[in-house]
Amino acid sequence: MTDPLQWARYHWPRLMSGAGRNDGERFYNYSSLLVCGKKPSQTPKLAGKHRVVIPRARCFKEEYEKICGTYMNNRIRTTKYTLLNFVPRNLFEQFHRAANLYFLLLVVLNWVPLVEAFQKEITMLPLVVVLTIIAIKDGLEDYRKYKIDKQINNLITKVYSRKDKKYIERCWKDVTVGDFIRLSCNEIIPADIVLLFSTDPDGICHIETSGLDGESNLKQREVVRGYAEQDSEVDPEKFSSRIECESPNNDLNRFRGFLEHPSKERIGLSKENLLLRGCTIRNTEAVVGIVVYAGHETKAMLNNSGPRYKRSKLERRANTDILWCVLLLISMCFAGALGHGIWLSSYEAVPFFNMPEPDGHNLSPALAGFYMFWTMIILLQVLIPISLYVSIEIVKLGQIYFIQSDIDFYNEKMDSTIQCRALNIAEDLGQIQYLFSDKTGTLTENKMVFRRCSIAGFDYGHEENAKRLESYQEVSSEDEDLTDTPSGSLSNMTKPKAHSCRTVNNGPLESKSFNQLAGSCLALGGEDGVTDGSLSRQAAFSSPIETDVVPDTGLLAKFSQITPQLFTLPHESDPHLSAEIWYIIDFFLALAICNTVVVSSPNQPRQRLRLSSLGRLPITSLEEIKNLFQRLSVRRSSFPSLCSGKEPSSGGPNAFVSRLSLFNRSKLAPPTEEDASQLSDRAQGPSKTTCLQDQEESEATAGSSSGSLDSPLGQTLASDLHYEAESPDEAALVYAARAYQCTLQSRTPDQVMVDLAALGPLTFQLLHILPFDSVRKRMSVVVRHPLSNKVVVYTKGADSVIMELLSSASAGGETVEKQQKIIREKTQRHLDDYARKGLRTLCIAKKVMSDTEYAEWLKNHFLAETSIDNREQLLLESAMRLETKLTLLGATGIEDRLQEGVPEAIEALQKAGIKIWMLTGDKQETAVNIAYACKLLEQDDKIFILNTQNKEACEMLMNKILEELKKDVQSPPNVPIPQLRAGLIITGKTLEFALQDSLQSQFLELTEMCQAVVCCRATPLQKSEVVKLVRNQLKVMTLAIGDGANDVSMIQVADIGVGISGQEGMQAVMASDFAVSQFRHLTKLLLVHGHWCYTRLSNMILYFFYKNVAYVNLLFWYQFFCGFSGTSMSDYWVLIFFNLLFTSVPPVIYGILEKDVSAGTLMQLPELYKSGQKSEAYLPLTFWITLLDAFYQSLVCFFVPYYTYQGSDIDIFMFGNPLNTAALFIILLHLVIESKTLTWIHMLVISGSILLYFFFALVFGAMCVTCNPPSNPYWIMEEHMMDPVFHLVCVITTCVALLPRFIYRVLQGSLFPSLILRAKHLDKLTLEERNEALKKWKEARRMTAVHSGPTDTKKLGRGRNSCDFSMTAASFCTKERDSPVFKATSDINNASGMAMKVVPSSEHPLQNSTQK
Amino acid sequence: MKRNNCQGLPSRMPDNTAFQQQQLPACRPSLTARAVLPGFFATGVSFLGMGILLILSAKSVKEIEITYTDLCSNCSKLRENASNFYKECTCSIPFFIPEKMPGNVYMYYKLHNFYQNYRRYIISRNNRQLLGEDNTDVENCAPFQRASNDRPIAPCGAIANSMFNDTILLSYYPNSSTGINVPLLSSEITWWTDKHVKFQNPKSSNLSSAFAGTAKPPYWRKPVYQLDQENPENNGFLNNDFIVWMRVAALPTFKKLYRRIHRIQQFADGLPAGNYSLDISYNFPVTVFKGEKGVVLSTATWSGGKNFFLGVAYTATGAMTWLAAFSLMAVHLKLKKKKASFQC
Repeated sequence: MTDPLQWARYHWPRLMSGAGRNDGERFYNYSSLLVCGKKPSQTPKLAGKHRVVIPRARCFKEEYEKICGTYMNNRIRTTKYTLLNFVPRNLFEQFHRAANLYFLLLVVLNWVPLVEAFQKEITMLPLVVVLTIIAIKDGLEDYRKYKIDKQINNLITKVYSRKDKKYIERCWKDVTVGDFIRLSCNEIIPADIVLLFSTDPDGICHIETSGLDGESNLKQREVVRGYAEQDSEVDPEKFSSRIECESPNNDLNRFRGFLEHPSKERIGLSKENLLLRGCTIRNTEAVVGIVVYAGHETKAMLNNSGPRYKRSKLERRANTDILWCVLLLISMCFAGALGHGIWLSSYEAVPFFNMPEPDGHNLSPALAGFYMFWTMIILLQVLIPISLYVSIEIVKLGQIYFIQSDIDFYNEKMDSTIQCRALNIAEDLGQIQYLFSDKTGTLTENKMVFRRCSIAGFDYGHEENAKRLESYQEVSSEDEDLTDTPSGSLSNMTKPKAHSCRTVNNGPLESKSFNQLAGSCLALGGEDGVTDGSLSRQAAFSSPIETDVVPDTGLLAKFSQITPQLFTLPHESDPHLSAEIWYIIDFFLALAICNTVVVSSPNQPRQRLRLSSLGRLPITSLEEIKNLFQRLSVRRSSFPSLCSGKEPSSGGPNAFVSRLSLFNRSKLAPPTEEDASQLSDRAQGPSKTTCLQDQEESEATAGSSSGSLDSPLGQTLASDLHYEAESPDEAALVYAARAYQCTLQSRTPDQVMVDLAALGPLTFQLLHILPFDSVRKRMSVVVRHPLSNKVVVYTKGADSVIMELLSSASAGGETVEKQQKIIREKTQRHLDDYARKGLRTLCIAKKVMSDTEYAEWLKNHFLAETSIDNREQLLLESAMRLETKLTLLGATGIEDRLQEGVPEAIEALQKAGIKIWMLTGDKQETAVNIAYACKLLEQDDKIFILNTQNKEACEMLMNKILEELKKDVQSPPNVPIPQLRAGLIITGKTLEFALQDSLQSQFLELTEMCQAVVCCRATPLQKSEVVKLVRNQLKVMTLAIGDGANDVSMIQVADIGVGISGQEGMQAVMASDFAVSQFRHLTKLLLVHGHWCYTRLSNMILYFFYKNVAYVNLLFWYQFFCGFSGTSMSDYWVLIFFNLLFTSVPPVIYGILEKDVSAGTLMQLPELYKSGQKSEAYLPLTFWITLLDAFYQSLVCFFVPYYTYQGSDIDIFMFGNPLNTAALFIILLHLVIESKTLTWIHMLVISGSILLYFFFALVFGAMCVTCNPPSNPYWIMEEHMMDPVFHLVCVITTCVALLPRFIYRVLQGSLFPSLILRAKHLDKLTLEERNEALKKWKEARRMTAVHSGPTDTKKLGRGRNSCDFSMTAASFCTKERDSPVFKATSDINNASGMAMKVVPSSEHPLQNSTQK
Repeated sequence: MKRNNCQGLPSRMPDNTAFQQQQLPACRPSLTARAVLPGFFATGVSFLGMGILLILSAKSVKEIEITYTDLCSNCSKLRENASNFYKECTCSIPFFIPEKMPGNVYMYYKLHNFYQNYRRYIISRNNRQLLGEDNTDVENCAPFQRASNDRPIAPCGAIANSMFNDTILLSYYPNSSTGINVPLLSSEITWWTDKHVKFQNPKSSNLSSAFAGTAKPPYWRKPVYQLDQENPENNGFLNNDFIVWMRVAALPTFKKLYRRIHRIQQFADGLPAGNYSLDISYNFPVTVFKGEKGVVLSTATWSGGKNFFLGVAYTATGAMTWLAAFSLMAVHLKLKKKKASFQC
């Protein structure tokens, strides 16, 4: 019976194409109609949208050249520049920045003779220096990329050569589309390849995609349908099909196309057939495939968007102030121009120190003033500091360096540390106000542990298991050692995965560049940590906490009743009991089967267990096979009861036919070893296991044999099996099933073998897997049950979904229906209970289908599978059709353990004034409980739940809550805002209303009053919308943290996205700006590094403004004494170098190393973070005060020497020298005053700067007699060094200029120290004193809290009474009403469609559970 | 420090060094009243001391300034008209020195409102020409590069062209009838480096041949090699007055060293008190730019001329520092009382 269906599945295309063979053209149209749904049929060539790949073989040469010749080859070039275009292209790119353009404008201006202020060459210098530095940096980066590209391009792979008629070694770069490639185990895939052959008998190939997405678990890929049954390797010479597929795109999870044989037969291609560039072949001896995308058109390369570029808030702030500086510059220049005009016009005649123009006439004052404006711009250009841009870049690099080398972020288990992917927003970390966190995998470990289950309405508490979990201590898993033991036989395949991934690395490539196989750009952003922890993650998947489940004694007792007899006499002895036992069996079978887990054993890791012992036997003749089978059947006969005797009539003949054909096929080819193994594998067909008689019968009639085997698996201890799943909860369920001796033994695409204790191994024919997706929220497998030989659908999914799909009228009559109803109710109760305990719940259900039903569904499903364009939708619909009328088996509760240090981290972050939102797709109860467990919500918090079914209700409810909250806040007007803590819980549906335009502001107002917000049942899109709303409407700095693909959009929207490099793959990390391995690292990242980066950079930027204004103003003041003629009193070289050399390094060092408060203190006093949130270090006012100070200092610095030398015979450069020298001292000492810490590096750099200045001035003064024409610094410094007045002037100028700021700082330090300053004092104390002081500090904080305490409690008390109202609508979910949490408030007020409950948590029943 | 993990690959663990972990030992200056008090007092004391010293030193400087723009009104009128360029005009200005000027006495000429620092003026010179390397190098000297006959001007440029060309003689009248010419030296009024390095005459047997083929600056009466008729050494680019003039003043009101008093005979100890007169050959026009000119006779000390500013500044700053120190002390004492409640 199964076989016709199978047959139909495989031969459907053949039938279709058979119809088309008569009329090729018409078939094409039909097919494209099929493919494109109702869309107008496309032209046969499918130009543009699709690509056609034909093999690069002789017979197709012309066509090949025509079609595939245009495709990219596999050479990659990720470099931006070539040797030839480097200079022009780099310059072009650099001049895209506005700042550089401004400086270019200045240079050009200086070439205009009328306005030139300096010598032409000198003005170019800074620009040239900056451009050169950046160009060198770009060049080096590009060269590095080039080298890596070269390495990658020159990797060797085996490509089929027409000339030599065999696979020869060729460089990656020489691979082209249409090439056949043969890859062995552990080789890296050089291009996107359609898999045509695998040595695996089932046509499976395992690949590891960690190079691509970081997921270390193996993925299965299948040989193109029709090729799987091939007996020998695909012969490229004979391969004459063509492949039509999508144009290159970057969607890793999608590949659509078909393979067309010369006979016009089409075979659909999916992502299961595609091997992606950069992945590694594992556990498969060899594969052969044809290249469809190469080089830059591979999906991996198309996915590399390169590093992200964001502007930080601080930089935006600084940019506005730069605009202010521009305004200042313009006004200063205007003043200069005006002054010049007035000065000129004050003379009746032209004074003879004024030059006439070359043509002899004099300029009018107005025109001269106009020219002077531009001259002034050149002269005062330093006001807009070119060095600022460069310095900011350097400082950020330094900050990133220190963040990355912080040892506290190192995770030993994963051997990973923090990754900073965005290089220029580190300072934003110090200003975060809102934190949006995912729950699963972020707050929790995403280490799923089976906790409890409910089967057929009975709850099994698993108390022992719970105890084990409590006492469980995370030991570094010994599994690694286990997996490391080498096992011999298959030399290259048996190496443990952990090993093999490293062994490949030891080639010419270092591990870093290894990543870049996937693409160098990718590696640029995330080079660290893509390869990380393939080893550790494996361990993480199989840590004892997850694998060892202690069975529940009650359930075990029931399990013991399972006897083989049960199957012979169904529903007879004790119908009730046996029904329950059937439920239990089905339940655990579902747990074991309904998944996509890959089985491996430690002895042969990653090697899918198969019946290889038999397969390896050289079977030479039919006779031998027969003997073998007989031998086996003798053993099999020890399970006589297995043969129910009913089946053969229905299944027999068909099974026989298919077996026959199968066998015949295998007979065609010489019986090679592989062949035989394939055969034996097939021979293990499900129908054989069911009935021995049947087999014998068929054997007798056909004279053929096929063995049903008692597998050697029996020898493998169940506990040695390892399960690798795409999501950890799948594995948890399989491990749970194993604990009840329902062990998943092996899995191939066609069948699943389960070892059920009482029954021995059962082989299920796997008909379909409908994988999990977030729309359906469930997955299903369709199997043929070996005992009943019926098609059974096992479904597992979110309870809300499954409950709706349960059959209302079961076919089994009224009693069954009633029973189901009871089970449903009971299970629902258990589900609610699980959820309250913070467990993740899943419902397990099944459905038995008749063959006709199945055949009908299959027909439709096949249509969906083969379509190209609308496949996803069709597949979804097809799955929905299948998953109906389910029978509920039970439910599971899986615990998602909190990550280490999460409650502490959340507490600290909340103390730091960060509002934390938890956005999760989980159900409300689970989310709320995790929120309590991780201290996001506390017992004293007022909790408001927003769960309504329509918009109006939502609005009303929000108004109500707001009123309530405001009353609380306003009632004691004399107390400054008390410590009222409120939490808001909102469900996805309500969130939808709240996010609408009309309710936004209200919603935000509400959330602003709450410390914590929990959004449950939120979709990824909603997550990002929430973040966007808060970010844009409240104008706050947001941080989003998450670990899964569903958090990507949220991570991208937030100001800072943090990815957790956990088990759910790398999508989140790839999208993030920072990637940490654990949530708790966020504390140090924000509180310490964020604080430091922010204060450092903002202080440095302010300092730069100060420095430039102070220095440039000296020139400006001088204009008042030189007729506003644009004279500078310093040598131009000194002027340029002043910014470029003498005063550039200290601020950079300051920006990198400044440490206002030590890390320890910052961690202990999270409230210090608030200064960054309020941008205290860099307020608009601070900027103006800084400018004012700069003005004052420049005035002092100019006028002290001015009055000193007034009326003397001082010459112009003699006058400039003390100005410069004093300015240098002032500027550097100013930095010392502002510095909170001075290490030897600071000292070195500052004294180095001063020494360099004097050295330069002395050398320049000694050497330069004529070198810098108009000015002439010859011997000036030397002369001054011997002049006491010079020294006196410098000293007094420096002192007077710095005195006010110094006194201000002293007064601030003594009289009104900021929190930061006070914390800084703590650092100076000894350890004991410090602890003492910290205690006092915290006490003092608490004192202020207690001060407002009484009113607080009173309020709470009142709140308890008055807030205890609720309006629960009829539409309010029943399950919530059932739950004890809400019972207290579930009295119904009216049917307004609202539910509002204020749950004072002292009445919170969960309090106890969360307490412990 | 790199730990190797069992796979033999370097671990990603960052190095645990003080630098990388930002734990470098650091000096943490704490700016509180208490910490800075000693510094403030010390600074105050030293500044006050220095200020008093400077004031005393400036006070010891004897200085006399005679502005003669208006005193020679006829001459200044004459110079207003450029056509009178070659007309001689002299004037004599009697003045009285009330106190003896001891030690070295220097004679300066002082110009008011002359913007020697005007941008286009100061760049109008050529240092290489002045170095005697190439007379024809007149780059940057616009508009005084070449004379009408296309000869290069030596020295070229606006600065040289506008050289101060009054001659000033000082006579001492021990009694009303007899006047003694005070001996004035023009040597050593320049920087040594200027005279010996920056300014050199072109190499040649004699000066006139060295400057052959060049033209004199248009405002000059005599060519550069005839600047000093008395001392042939003091000619060409090495002329002291020329060198002094070429050192461009920083501010529009400036004085430049003109002569030193030769300390011989009765002037061995400086200028005695009494009647003097200045005999000025008035050539330099100042009224066109609303300027003034004068003569300054001054003694010198280590701290420069008679300028009290620096001394006053030091004294004032010293006083301010003390004031600040006292108020900080008050703050400190006040805080000390509250120390119990103020915990940081």
